[in-house]
Amino acid sequence: TGGHTTEILRLLSCLSESYSPRHYVLADSDKMSEAKIRSFEQKRAETFSKSQFTLDRIPRSREVRQSWISSVLTTLYSILYSLPLTYKRKPDLILCNGPGTCVPICISAFLLGLLRIKRTTIVYVESICRVETLSLSGKILYYFSDYFIVQWPDLKKKYAKSVYLGRIV
Amino acid sequence: FRFKDSLAEDLQSADLVISHAGAGSCLETLEKGKPLIVVINDKLMDNHQLELAKQLHRDGYVLYCNCSTLVETLQSMDLSALKPFPPGQPEKFALFLDKVFEFQ
Repeated sequence: TGGHTTEILRLLSCLSESYSPRHYVLADSDKMSEAKIRSFEQKRAETFSKSQFTLDRIPRSREVRQSWISSVLTTLYSILYSLPLTYKRKPDLILCNGPGTCVPICISAFLLGLLRIKRTTIVYVESICRVETLSLSGKILYYFSDYFIVQWPDLKKKYAKSVYLGRIV
Repeated sequence: FRFKDSLAEDLQSADLVISHAGAGSCLETLEKGKPLIVVINDKLMDNHQLELAKQLHRDGYVLYCNCSTLVETLQSMDLSALKPFPPGQPEKFALFLDKVFEFQ
């Protein structure tokens, strides 16, 4: 969604074509991100002609302020929905920065790793908006990610396993 | 005006921006090098949305007030005391990932 998409495209901006093809996963209810992504990829294709990307949608795992119980159920549903997608793409790397969409994808990749089907490196970058506290996605994925990146020193102090590179978006 | 696709043009021609504490608004304004006053609405806002505005203020990049103190802030503000906002460095992230995957 919105701010998350802008941030993640900035994160991608300096990556080489070793990180290709890029598979974008969006919430089915997200109306604005697709245009931003296509615009980014179009510019990219001007420099790297063999550049490839795909776009998939999954059901949104949780609405803002949705109750705990129904959130668990909708997230479980999203995880089940994500499994075939993650299995199909078998990514080497998952990069995410906090929208609810990323939790089911990461958990599905984690499960595929446990089942020895595909080992994916999960890199989570907490949003620049998070200075003192982690988002809910961050709190969950802190335990499932291989690298957990924060953009402010306070968070590095609180979360010892995190990586601090300064502001990267 | 409320739902314009992009405020980039308006931002470019502004001398001063007064905005809510949304991260996108704050960062877009700071990156264009425009002086920014962030107005906090305690009643409406999620605590976490304030984190960034507070930090930007602590670091000297923005002025900060609430609805009732806005007029006072506008009267007594010293915009020259605001520091220029250095851009983020996504190249550091690229370097980090390259090391993880051992790309040269």
